[in-house]
Amino acid sequence: MDLTPNDEQTVFQTATADWCRDNMPLEAARARPAGLWQQLEAMGWTGMTAPGMDLDHATEALVFAELGRFLAPVALLSSAVAARWTGATVKVALALPADGGARLFDGEGATHALGLFGGALGHFEIGEAPPSAPSLDQSATLTRIAGPLTIVAIDHPHAALHLQILAAAYAIGAADAARDMAAAYAQVREQFERPIGWFQAIKHLCADMAVRCAVARSQLYYAACALDAGDAGAAFHVAAAKRLADQAALDNGRANIQIHGGIGMTDEAYPHFCLKRAHLLQHVAPAERTALLAA
Amino acid sequence: MDIGFSLEETRFREACRDWLHAHVPAEKRPLNAADAIDFDKAWQRRLFDAGWAGINWPTDYGGRGLSIVQQVVWLEEYAKAHAPWIGANFVGINHGGPTLILNASEAQKAYHLPRILKGEAIWCQGFSEPGAGSDLAGIKTRGRIEGDELIVNGSKIWTSFAHVADWQELVLRTEDGSRRHAGLSWVICDMHAPGITVRPIRKMSGQTEFAEVFYDDVRIPLANVVGGLGNGWKVAMSTLSFERGTGFIADQVKQSQEIEELIAAARANGMMKDDRVADQLAQMRAEVAAVRAMTYRNISHVVRTGQPGAEASVIRLFTSELGQRLERMAVLLKGADILDFRYGDDDAVADYLRGFAATIAGGSAQIQRDIIGERLLGLPKSR
Repeated sequence: MDLTPNDEQTVFQTATADWCRDNMPLEAARARPAGLWQQLEAMGWTGMTAPGMDLDHATEALVFAELGRFLAPVALLSSAVAARWTGATVKVALALPADGGARLFDGEGATHALGLFGGALGHFEIGEAPPSAPSLDQSATLTRIAGPLTIVAIDHPHAALHLQILAAAYAIGAADAARDMAAAYAQVREQFERPIGWFQAIKHLCADMAVRCAVARSQLYYAACALDAGDAGAAFHVAAAKRLADQAALDNGRANIQIHGGIGMTDEAYPHFCLKRAHLLQHVAPAERTALLAA
Repeated sequence: MDIGFSLEETRFREACRDWLHAHVPAEKRPLNAADAIDFDKAWQRRLFDAGWAGINWPTDYGGRGLSIVQQVVWLEEYAKAHAPWIGANFVGINHGGPTLILNASEAQKAYHLPRILKGEAIWCQGFSEPGAGSDLAGIKTRGRIEGDELIVNGSKIWTSFAHVADWQELVLRTEDGSRRHAGLSWVICDMHAPGITVRPIRKMSGQTEFAEVFYDDVRIPLANVVGGLGNGWKVAMSTLSFERGTGFIADQVKQSQEIEELIAAARANGMMKDDRVADQLAQMRAEVAAVRAMTYRNISHVVRTGQPGAEASVIRLFTSELGQRLERMAVLLKGADILDFRYGDDDAVADYLRGFAATIAGGSAQIQRDIIGERLLGLPKSR
């Protein structure tokens, strides 16, 4: 039993964070350069989950939490899951069911989409999709397509859990980003002639953000290991990780805006990026109550 | 990362389970203080005789010298077997003993540690004072040096098991005119010494297990100072790191039993049909799982680096607040039956009322949030 990253995992984690900081800063999330996807492919993040790579879920979770911290494109989630279960080697859009059709995120350049439909994971050909438009999460573009969809189901029970755990990792990354942004601002913003982080009213909001991150991240690690080990409780543990990660991302997203005050409400500042990402992730493989209460 | 246990650890787990299955007492821990102390001592002695006391304590002092992972395995099986609460042995086993292992002289360790493990010596804590609660550095209890003794005057409060304790981890001011964190010492105080008066305090749950302690010219040999005169703050912080860090693993493990019992109870009485109840139970089941994951993560950190991770304070805060939510749910599920509670009852209502201590004792939830904000996030110190 060891729930701390080993040396190899730490190398993966650090390398991911370093690359993201230099090439995909959170601050640029509202307008990602056209060539970003090719760069992500070149770095191997779309294919790292492919069957031949033998990378465990624990390492994936660590890497995706770092990607999520910089609000990496959400199509990385669907593309990584497709790579593992359909052998796809190209960009696959992220689909959320909507009135018999679907909302597609990050559909540019993708011919297929993947998502959870009726509790099962499936993928389908996009065909003639209308041009993409902005979505609530400004880092992701949105296309609505009408049904009926011809969905090819992916039967393996771990496939849906794979999407759920990667989405949980992304949410933890967003929660971490909000926590760090809030703490950094509380250290430098001064009112009443001192940094606002001196005041317990602010300090304790920040502490709660750190608690939510630590709780969700610990469960993420456990769930990833449970999935790797084929543990009988894996479905519960992954659902628990997703539930806690979504809450951390949403609550931290809100707290970060409050701590920033007026500037936090503006389009120009960055806190709203984390909140909006949290709202999107909440709908990706959400943790069902039945899974959390299952025997 | 992995959650698997080694063959040795798995065999150890089976041995724990088998022994507990055969030996956990059928009768409940008695409520009245005099009977409870006999029960606690006898149970601790049985644990020691069977080799289950001090699993990760050094063998030189009566421990087993095994790993902290095996200690956690034992506590997991202990909770699953519904074995008795540690009771009066809490302070000695969970933070007094560990503080001595880290800071005490050979003579102090050789005398006290085996007695703690055998259940022969009950310890209590003497940190808080009427004027020094969250602001622990405001300690006023004084020890004047006279020859090779300290002459102690003052008072301590919220001292659990003071009325039955043999020894106390006492933090007091031993330098004239010293202020705040300087000039304090951590000493082993004999609770049977002349000049000590214990005044029991009744809790709102009815129990009188904690007390105020008065010191009137109490003589304590200087040989009982632990970690050197004037180093009391540092030693006290190591005590608190055990109290806040690994001391509550048993409680954390117990929560995974409690949530399953609450879910079963809500299904049995139909309240699971209430969406709000079902959702809260689902939420808490996820949180209880996360507590175990956090505990494992913290233990892994100890194994890897020799000390708890920076997030240890997070575990303590989160676990204490989650414990209170579990207790509130247990009370909610009982409905108006809680109104039948009387002092002397030992049920979910007593647990709920007692449970308010979880976010006050050992550093209040507010102090823990200060610590997290300052040490984990680098925010400026407010104090």
